[in-house]
Amino acid sequence: MYANLIDALPNVLGWANVLSVVVGVIAGICVGALPGLSATMAISVLIPFTFGLDPLVALGMMAGIYNGAMYGGAIPAVLLRIPGTPAAVATSFDGYPMAQSGRGGFALQVAVVSSAIGGIASAIVLMLLAPPLSKVTLLFGPAEIFWVAVFGLSSIVFLLGGDPIKGLISAAFGVTVSVVGSDTITGYERLTFDHLELLDGINIVVLLVGLYALPPAIDLLENADFETVKGKFNLGTGSIWKAIPSMLGFWKTWLRSSVIGVLIGILPGAGGSMAAFLSYNEARRASKNPKAWGNGEPEGVAAAETANNADTASAMIPALTLGVPGTSVAAVMLGGLLIHGLQPGPMLFRDNPDLVFGFMWQFLFGAILLIFLGGSLATNSFAQVLRLPRPMLGAIIIALVFIGVYSINGRMFDVYLTLGFGVVGYFMDKLKFPLPPVVLGLILGSFAEENLRLALRIGRNDWSTLWQNGTSQIIIAVTVSVIVGPLVMRVIRKRKSEDDSAK
Amino acid sequence: MKFKTIIASACLVAAFASNAHAEYPEKKIEIIVGYSAGGGTDVMARTVAPFLERYLVDGATVVVKNMPGASGQIGVTEVANADPDGYTLGTFNLPGMMARTLDRKADYSADSFTYLANVVDDPNVIVTAKDSKLDTMEKLMTAAKADPGAITVGMSSLGGDDHFFLMRLQNGSGAEFTIAPFKGSAPARTAVMGGHVAMGIFNLSEVLGFREELNILGVATEERSSLADDIPTFTEQGVNVVNGSLRGFVAPLNLPEDVRGKLLDAFQKAYDDPEFSKAMLASGNPVKLTLGDDFKALNQEQYDFAKSVWETTPWK
Repeated sequence: MYANLIDALPNVLGWANVLSVVVGVIAGICVGALPGLSATMAISVLIPFTFGLDPLVALGMMAGIYNGAMYGGAIPAVLLRIPGTPAAVATSFDGYPMAQSGRGGFALQVAVVSSAIGGIASAIVLMLLAPPLSKVTLLFGPAEIFWVAVFGLSSIVFLLGGDPIKGLISAAFGVTVSVVGSDTITGYERLTFDHLELLDGINIVVLLVGLYALPPAIDLLENADFETVKGKFNLGTGSIWKAIPSMLGFWKTWLRSSVIGVLIGILPGAGGSMAAFLSYNEARRASKNPKAWGNGEPEGVAAAETANNADTASAMIPALTLGVPGTSVAAVMLGGLLIHGLQPGPMLFRDNPDLVFGFMWQFLFGAILLIFLGGSLATNSFAQVLRLPRPMLGAIIIALVFIGVYSINGRMFDVYLTLGFGVVGYFMDKLKFPLPPVVLGLILGSFAEENLRLALRIGRNDWSTLWQNGTSQIIIAVTVSVIVGPLVMRVIRKRKSEDDSAK
Repeated sequence: MKFKTIIASACLVAAFASNAHAEYPEKKIEIIVGYSAGGGTDVMARTVAPFLERYLVDGATVVVKNMPGASGQIGVTEVANADPDGYTLGTFNLPGMMARTLDRKADYSADSFTYLANVVDDPNVIVTAKDSKLDTMEKLMTAAKADPGAITVGMSSLGGDDHFFLMRLQNGSGAEFTIAPFKGSAPARTAVMGGHVAMGIFNLSEVLGFREELNILGVATEERSSLADDIPTFTEQGVNVVNGSLRGFVAPLNLPEDVRGKLLDAFQKAYDDPEFSKAMLASGNPVKLTLGDDFKALNQEQYDFAKSVWETTPWK
């Protein structure tokens, strides 16, 4: 198998194939950086055009786009507090405060280096461990996936913000939006109000840009002084090579977040956003000064960005070996493979080793290219956007958002829906309702519910089947320890200090 | 003078119009696919398109337009409401498109279309994990009858061909199963491989790549499939069930007879082209052509069965 890996290399290094990855990464960064356009969309737009292309050229472009977009989403998240892709929400927590305090350039550099590291780690795992890790995917049935979703939901505690009631209302809103559509278990239509467009549920991009992109864009219009945003803070970009040494202290976060990203990637259904949220929380929990998090802690950017790139190549593991995509981007990529007559499964590795392993190399190159392309070129040019007058920037963002949302399914309905969510988001912003719980609720709400009900259906309504197998028990144990652990520690510490003061 | 001009131009327009008509197709033909790019139906349409171009007339263009949503319903409704001029065609999936007219409010019916050609017939199969004890149809049916509902069945969705296959199986044998509908066939297949459900119902093309991980107990065709002639049919094993997922092409109702003729002819020629079945098979689409009126009759048969299932055991 490893011989196949080496055999595939020369072909990948052909100029057309290298060029396709380069073009893909650049396109991906641009798509990711534009709010409303996502990697999923870019690749599904690309697929019909690749019909006539050489498979490796097409696959290289897709791998490049995936890697590029996962980083590109960080650019507006840092500069404008508008996550460019769903997976960049967690990046904005610390990235934007950093930009406000004049360290935006450094934040972007942290983001690009972390993205590249996550992507490289993921690609290496894909290359070396794809077949064994696909066995891990098999361990996860509906019951196990339900517990993973519960684990993810438990991190909501840390996202509630200052006012837990408002945070919970936000989360409940997210969950409500997530259950819209036709229910897979019974086929009933929920909250669709007889609109065919709602039967498949609400696309996360529609909700995300409504909540995250429109309110800040409106904000740019509201303060219509024609000063540039840049006037307010200095971006402070230096050479990326000089910046890297100061990041080396993040190695623990890089390692931890890579592992989290890879693991989330191989789980079917969970995606980049969940990886970024989880790794952000774990990094904060491990940090010595958790108070600084949310106020411009570079490590927070590193955690989120490593994880959302670490699940790119690893999401292809179940996709290539089992045909189940780990993320929505991997799902459209499968379509790209199918259109070239490449059907996922063990046969794929045997029949088309040069393509499969070539594709893996392209993931690796895409990740490495990020540092070169994302670091100097893209970061500098995108940062210039901030020189635009505020009203103009706001108007451009709003136009882009609507184009992006329209192009998901090519219908105005989604644009109206985005406008509706924009209104909701605007008032949530003004009334200080936190937005992250909405996203988490949307991602995990119906995901948990569907798998719970499917697990119960399979277990013939016997609730004990939910925790009867080993994998479930391990996940439950981890969840409990993560939630209860800090409480216990606090009690112990308190006792200790009481004992000390008693002496 | 003015009157003459009007007459003259009207004649000219009429002449052009009929002339243009005779030369169908004179502009690009759109095939509306109700799913996003890269899905099985989309790949079928994109594979068929160049062959249609080749066999219609020189220089014909056929483009695929994706209108995803509501499991294909948005796209097929668009086709039903389009002008029957031969420039809007659509993909058509059975039994899904007919089942949607029963379980949802639909703005089309079986009578909204001119049936052109059903191209793909992907038969249903029953699979179990390689290490499962239920490795023959006989053992499976015995287990299902011994404890009704104990056998859990993973499948892609309710109201699709997998579901109808199970209904035919239950009706024919009297056995009872517990349905576990997943979101698509790939997660269901993974659940079978991981032992989370006892068996799975899929289409043959979906499991051919996984023969080392799965036992294929039987295939729901009249005669053994040429794709895997070592797999026995269910009929051979005493369970008389034939069912599958069908994919084809329709046009709006009242398509002009000459246009219809040209299209049917092009489909027949494409089907006879050996390159065609090769390209289709590579993308997981086993071909079997059912043309024109035969396709319409096939659709009616599918509709009647879906209706009988819906009336006796509605799935929602």
